[in-house]
Amino acid sequence: MKGYRKYFGKKILWFFITLIAAVILNFVLPRMMPADPVSAITGKMASGMTDASAVQEIYKRYEAEFGTNKSLPEQFFIFVKNMLHGDLGTSFSQYPRKVSDIISSAIIWTICLQLPAILVGWLLGNILGALAAYIRKGFDKVLLPVAVFLSNVPAFGMAVTLLVIFAVNLKVAPIAGGYSFDMIPNFSWSFIKSVISHYQLPFWSIVLVSIGGQAIGMRSMSIYELNADYVKYARFLGIKDRKIVGYVFRNAMLPQVTGLALSIGTMIGGALVAEIIFSYPGLGSTMYSAVTAADYPLISATTLIITIMVLVVTFVLDIIYGFIDPRVKAAQFDA
Amino acid sequence: MKNTLRQVFHSSKFLVGFILFVLILLTIWIYPFLNPGNPLEMIGVGTFAKPGTYVSVYDALNTGTETLRLPDADDKRVDQLLSDADRVSMLEWFDIMEIDVSDLDATDTEALLDLWFEHYDQSIKPKGMTQAKRNFYKRLDNSVRQIRSADTLKIMHPEEGELVERGSINKTDYVNVGDVANVKLLPLGTDNFGRDVLKEMVSATGTSIVIGLIAGIVATLIGLTLGLLAGYVGGWVDDIIMFITNIFTVIPGFVLLILISYSIGQEQRGASVVAIVIGLTSWTWTTRSVRSQVISLRNRDHVNLSKLSGHSLVRIVATDILPYIASYVVMAFILQVSSGILAEAQLSLLGLGPKTTVTPTLGLMMNWAMLYSAHTNGSWWAYFPVILTITLISFSLNLMNTGLDQVFNPTLRD
Amino acid sequence: MGKVILEVHDLKTKYVTRFREDVYAVDGVSFKIEEGKSLGVAGESGCGKSTLALSMMGYYFPPLHYISGDIIIDGKNISGLDPDVVRKTILGTEIAYIPQAAMNALNPTQKIIRFVEDVIRAHNPKADKKEIRERAQTRFAELGLPKEVLDKHAVELSGGMKQRTVIAVSTILSPKVLIADEPSSALDVTSQKMVIKMMRELMEKGYIKSMLFITHELPLLYNVTDDIMVMYAGQIVERGSAREMVFDPIHPYSHGLMGSILVPEEGTRGTTLTAIPGTPPNLKKPPQGCRFAERCRYATDECRYHSVPEKQFDEGRGYCCRLSVDQLREAYKNE
Repeated sequence: MKGYRKYFGKKILWFFITLIAAVILNFVLPRMMPADPVSAITGKMASGMTDASAVQEIYKRYEAEFGTNKSLPEQFFIFVKNMLHGDLGTSFSQYPRKVSDIISSAIIWTICLQLPAILVGWLLGNILGALAAYIRKGFDKVLLPVAVFLSNVPAFGMAVTLLVIFAVNLKVAPIAGGYSFDMIPNFSWSFIKSVISHYQLPFWSIVLVSIGGQAIGMRSMSIYELNADYVKYARFLGIKDRKIVGYVFRNAMLPQVTGLALSIGTMIGGALVAEIIFSYPGLGSTMYSAVTAADYPLISATTLIITIMVLVVTFVLDIIYGFIDPRVKAAQFDA
Repeated sequence: MKNTLRQVFHSSKFLVGFILFVLILLTIWIYPFLNPGNPLEMIGVGTFAKPGTYVSVYDALNTGTETLRLPDADDKRVDQLLSDADRVSMLEWFDIMEIDVSDLDATDTEALLDLWFEHYDQSIKPKGMTQAKRNFYKRLDNSVRQIRSADTLKIMHPEEGELVERGSINKTDYVNVGDVANVKLLPLGTDNFGRDVLKEMVSATGTSIVIGLIAGIVATLIGLTLGLLAGYVGGWVDDIIMFITNIFTVIPGFVLLILISYSIGQEQRGASVVAIVIGLTSWTWTTRSVRSQVISLRNRDHVNLSKLSGHSLVRIVATDILPYIASYVVMAFILQVSSGILAEAQLSLLGLGPKTTVTPTLGLMMNWAMLYSAHTNGSWWAYFPVILTITLISFSLNLMNTGLDQVFNPTLRD
Repeated sequence: MGKVILEVHDLKTKYVTRFREDVYAVDGVSFKIEEGKSLGVAGESGCGKSTLALSMMGYYFPPLHYISGDIIIDGKNISGLDPDVVRKTILGTEIAYIPQAAMNALNPTQKIIRFVEDVIRAHNPKADKKEIRERAQTRFAELGLPKEVLDKHAVELSGGMKQRTVIAVSTILSPKVLIADEPSSALDVTSQKMVIKMMRELMEKGYIKSMLFITHELPLLYNVTDDIMVMYAGQIVERGSAREMVFDPIHPYSHGLMGSILVPEEGTRGTTLTAIPGTPPNLKKPPQGCRFAERCRYATDECRYHSVPEKQFDEGRGYCCRLSVDQLREAYKNE
């Protein structure tokens, strides 16, 4: 048990350290830049205004909104205090909507889209990779190049391709949005049906992009494990091949959990951009509209939320991995 | 060294990737000689002209003609003239006139027209049909009849308020494309601003690869320096560097990228600045792999021997450590280049791409195509070649990487 | 003379390399082991001794292929049987194998007891879990292994413990023949002794009836086995009792091999060590005459171009050379 406690303790400590670092970066980075965001925004808002005092007025208002008229440490404490209260400021582009309000309506769409899609992609990729390693020959020869090619298609590219084929040309799926635009979210059957049909293309485009990389990783991992000494030994003790293949895939798949934890950041990044293509009402589209509208508080909050999402997923995967792979426990005893 | 190179080029994966990448580079180098000029020049006035060869109508009229009698020329003309919408309108007319068209194939122009001439009469005024709709049918009828009947078109020249016949064009007149003064080949059509997509894309590919290279160099330099320091010096230096590296491994790089890019502002965001920022947010992998390699090398005999001989740190690193980790660094660099190109594209799609007055990038082209809905209005040439190019670059770089990996890590070889 | 437990007759097997070349690694090997006896196999690396161990199992998978010959265990010929029959009724129960690298012989993510269950159930699918555990506990206790080992994962065991666990699991079904391929080579001296002690106990307590012990460490064989065989280029060149083989080797190769051993005994300092010059022949194209001729200082043209008359190694002494015992002994005296 000592090994586990050490492992989990370490992971929890790291989770908080990275969380704090992420919050600090999210606060500091924009403020370190030469351009003053407040004056940039004021410039946009006041374009066409000739009255200098009126421009000054606007500048003052945003300065106060931002808190940039206070010292940096002071700003930081206000930032953290507000954040802990769930207050992420007021949106510029959707004034006077609260940023936290916008984010909370978007985050559900992103989580419901991306987590299942990435998990399904991971699972399918692993199964295909394992099959390729086990069957080899023809299956492998066809599958591997396809997987390598697929893994190099950018997420937005896959999104556009699917969109054009299935929504624009074949017209079997809707072109944009998370649900039919003439509907108001509710729990009726027709609304759920609309959500499901809008879900298909974004979901499968993320799945297809994730499959390739996972399949390649799993394939080489499985080949490595199939040549391991314990496979030969188990065979010579009369254990059935099917059982041994079970050992091999379990062992090859476990490190893939860590692989997923390490690549989840990149995967979510790609998937967010894919959301934009489908105008899916998630965080990706929110970020896009925030960037186009120069809505500074919304951008800052979106990046923070995405970071926290990635941190939480990584942390959870690490914890799961610690439980299912006994090698972790042993490594902790050694260290 | 020579032997290693030979081994590397014996790997079929590396070779395929390498050839593909070199072909892409060659295209970027040679194409501007074939088609010189500003890649962002707006040659078209409208948006999204289809791929194809464009012949100046004016020049074609003034070019000497040959007479060719092609039997199916008329059918083709009518075929092209009748849009799908027109055909549907004709069917509607038949429906109103209660004519049975169940065995008529709407794509069979000949049969459709025969039926039309048989039943259409401008004098018929169906009940409930608006005047506009009736006029529409009249125009439709006139134009198909004209194509069927007229053999020549008259070209007129306005002279002192009167039209004077300048010449006539027969249906059987043909010009040789080679004789026409102005012919423009647009293999991938034009984009939303009327720019030659192929020319723009070749230039954009070059910029994107440069962005990837700069990002890769920045990331590799940072990663290599930190990795060497952490691995070779060890102790508290290692602790601090690894602490920072671990933090930046978990915090997603693209989030930092978005934050920094946005904060820099549109004006300061040139292609090279974007490239450097991408490099600044993607060095952690190199640091980690260099560090672990250096640690395993640190206590090897040849390094100890150099230490005992009193060689300087720089010399030990340069002669006893760098050559041994070179393969890992090169592999990491290749991956950085590929992910740098992708990062630029994603950033541009978010609207945070480099400032563009002179240089297009693949990401920006993608962004423009999406902004002007190329994907929903069927202008595939504006975005699909871009996706394919990004995929091919990334594919070729990854193949090279896999090939190198198999050469340098024989345990992974199947 | 006791009852013959294992008889191998003219066994030939080959490897097929990645480039489809045949390597005749075991090329006509014959020998017998009596009940309660152990036989050692010595030779340079690459002489085919590990392949011999694998070939003895009667269970072949690529890259190893069976060509011809018989393996008779307690009167039953197992060569040429259906692989699935071999797996079910021979492996583990009639003949068992201890691999060269026991470090990696156990599936790292499986508890030892689960592996024991898999081994026993491969032969008796209806075996009761409780009974299996009792049986494993008793056997482990008798062999001096702590029973806690059963509930650990392989990664949590030390190297020596892993090797002893492998031996205990291999012999859990009390096989008649045990093939041990360098079971102690990778271990430190203490662990090595414990492993040797365990092998002896297995014989003494009757859990195994005979043993084939393969190693490149000749002094070890002298201490462990009753008889020693020397193997060269896929063939047996000499067999005799451990004492005879160490102090009075007849075949020039055995002689050379014994001459190249360092023995930390009084008076041995200063005696010349004779290394055998040259390298073993390429087994893709074995030479037509005596395979050792190229490296043998007593070889004649006769040796090089004509095959050596076959010798049987079943009882007592035997060697494979054109020269007579007296000629060879005379020659060695003059060195």
